[in-house]
Amino acid sequence: MQFEVLSENLLKCGIAPQYVRRYLTELSEHLEDLTAEQRAAGFDPEDAAIRARARLGSDDELAGAMLAHKDFRSWAARAPLAVFGLLPPLVALLGGFTVLAPLVLCARETGMVTHGGINAPQWFRTSAAIACAVGNFAIAPSVALGFALLATCQRLRDLWPLLAILVIALLDLQFQATFPMLGHRGGALGINSGLWLFHLHGFSETWRLAATQLVLTLLPAFWLLHRRHATR
Amino acid sequence: MPIESTALLAGVPELMMLRLLQAQEMYGYEIVQAISSRTGGIVTPGEGVVYPLLHALEKEGALKSRRKTVNGRSRVYYALTGRGTKKLASLSGDWNALNSVVQKVLHAV
Repeated sequence: MQFEVLSENLLKCGIAPQYVRRYLTELSEHLEDLTAEQRAAGFDPEDAAIRARARLGSDDELAGAMLAHKDFRSWAARAPLAVFGLLPPLVALLGGFTVLAPLVLCARETGMVTHGGINAPQWFRTSAAIACAVGNFAIAPSVALGFALLATCQRLRDLWPLLAILVIALLDLQFQATFPMLGHRGGALGINSGLWLFHLHGFSETWRLAATQLVLTLLPAFWLLHRRHATR
Repeated sequence: MPIESTALLAGVPELMMLRLLQAQEMYGYEIVQAISSRTGGIVTPGEGVVYPLLHALEKEGALKSRRKTVNGRSRVYYALTGRGTKKLASLSGDWNALNSVVQKVLHAV
């Protein structure tokens, strides 16, 4: 691939991937124009390509021009602690609310919620169970994987995505839907931190779910470590 | 003969780019060729290094870009915005003031 070394250098120096992609695209197009110019001047294809590449500038010059603009650095490179330490729990919570919000809105708008609690029909209970399963087993691993991919794309040190994964694992979001028997009022739908539930109910009631979530959340960390080992 | 001192040229390519793009939208290669030809080769911005400058100007809102296909070739064309017009006026004013005082110093007896 043309400009592969330049691309790697820019990413390792913290330039955001979208700026790197755009720069390389325009450099490739510029190189085509320069090559065509050299061909029109009478050089054979090989000489034209060499002369055009030389006129475009060395990798160091091209990288230096980009690195001179600090604004092109990604937030992950500028403030990794904030991005990988603070953002993951916020993203996980936002994901949780996104999963549960339609159900809560639906329950409120259809009059299911009364002073006595939720009078939930079977379809609502099934939907709530599916939403909780998605919340419990998909959100934390997806967010962990997302931050692992973000760090990989930006060539950041493994320390940062591992921090994000650790924070998500410690937060241990647990989605709960509890309803009484059909026809009875009551029940609840919500998100809690596993640590808080552990504090409330003790180890016995939450450990299976917490352990499963922990394993799923840690999968991206294993992937990162395996990848690091494979590229050595 | 091109000017070798990059310190002396600081800000000049930016000023010229804005002026060229005020007249018409252009793509990177076209901009470099236009600057080189209009200055008789005295100012020749590095071929590849114009893009970070163009992207920075676009990021600050002085330029806007769009991909356009002309004669079967797709390229990113840049054009001046309202903010770019103001920036050009400001830079031109600064340049004229600087040029005037440098001339005075150089021609002082």
